[in-house]
Amino acid sequence: MLSDNELLRYSRHLLLEEVSEAGQHKLKNAKVLIIGMGGLGSPAALYLAAAGIGHLVLNDFDDIEVSNLQRQITYQNSDIGESKVEVTKQRLQQLNPDIKVRSINKQMPEQQLSMELTMADLVLDCTDNMATRQMINKACVDAKVPLIVGAAIRLEGQLMFFDHSQAESPCYHCLFPSSEEQTLNCSNAGIIGPVVGTIGTLQALEAIKYFVGLPSGIKNKLKLFDGKTLDWQTFAINKDTQCSVCGQV
Amino acid sequence: MKIQVNEQALTLPNSMNIEQLLSHLEKPLIGSAVAVNMQVISRSEWTQYNINEGDNISLFQAIAGG
Ligand SMILES: [Zn+2]
Repeated sequence: MLSDNELLRYSRHLLLEEVSEAGQHKLKNAKVLIIGMGGLGSPAALYLAAAGIGHLVLNDFDDIEVSNLQRQITYQNSDIGESKVEVTKQRLQQLNPDIKVRSINKQMPEQQLSMELTMADLVLDCTDNMATRQMINKACVDAKVPLIVGAAIRLEGQLMFFDHSQAESPCYHCLFPSSEEQTLNCSNAGIIGPVVGTIGTLQALEAIKYFVGLPSGIKNKLKLFDGKTLDWQTFAINKDTQCSVCGQV
Repeated sequence: MKIQVNEQALTLPNSMNIEQLLSHLEKPLIGSAVAVNMQVISRSEWTQYNINEGDNISLFQAIAGG
């Protein structure tokens, strides 16, 4: 049963037949691990907390810097020097006191990540480097936990969803098998705030849809977003049977 | 052979596989992803996958920022 307060708070969800009271219950019972509290994690965490995801675990190891404020919308000028996860946790609890928020203020080694995955229904990869992305992917494949991956640079975004509870699911490594840092990141290439915010927002949307039982438009697909034209391209991803992470052993 | 690469028309001098196409275009192999007619082709298939007349090839880079 939802309380009277919850009925009011989530009334705009309850008006939707796609969510309704049953869906709101599922959101309340959901446990989501968000890794990375930067430009993707900021809107993702705010939207999931607002939507009433009952258990959020936030992971990052950075402190807030003035150069983050151009796009990481959870933070304010007075937060500079504070820990990202601690400030985010506080903001989310102010936004929605009904949910539980836990923070992990460190770079998780593989073993701790695997342990966290035993308690997570879904992971959002909101990180900013290839090595961490590959580690999260492998851990999610091994633990059979669904993974929603967002990434953005300059005026481009990438979005994918791999449901690792399904054995036949492809993985991030099938698509990008190289862990070399050949790739661009926000500090060396620049980024416009609403571009990364769009991708983080859509990670939150896909998470909500997953829990209320709506089919995903991006499962086993890669969506490329072009912030110049606002065009999207959609590519199908097949499992690479030779993949060293998810392929046959 | 006429193909499209990232929506630009391109004529190839001879038939080639995906890895040869990347070399032909002087694109890096590392960090690149390739789709043919909107289907991603895994890196492990690049040397076996021959490009056909009229194929619509998309080349893009992994991005890690967030
Ligand atoms: Zn794989």
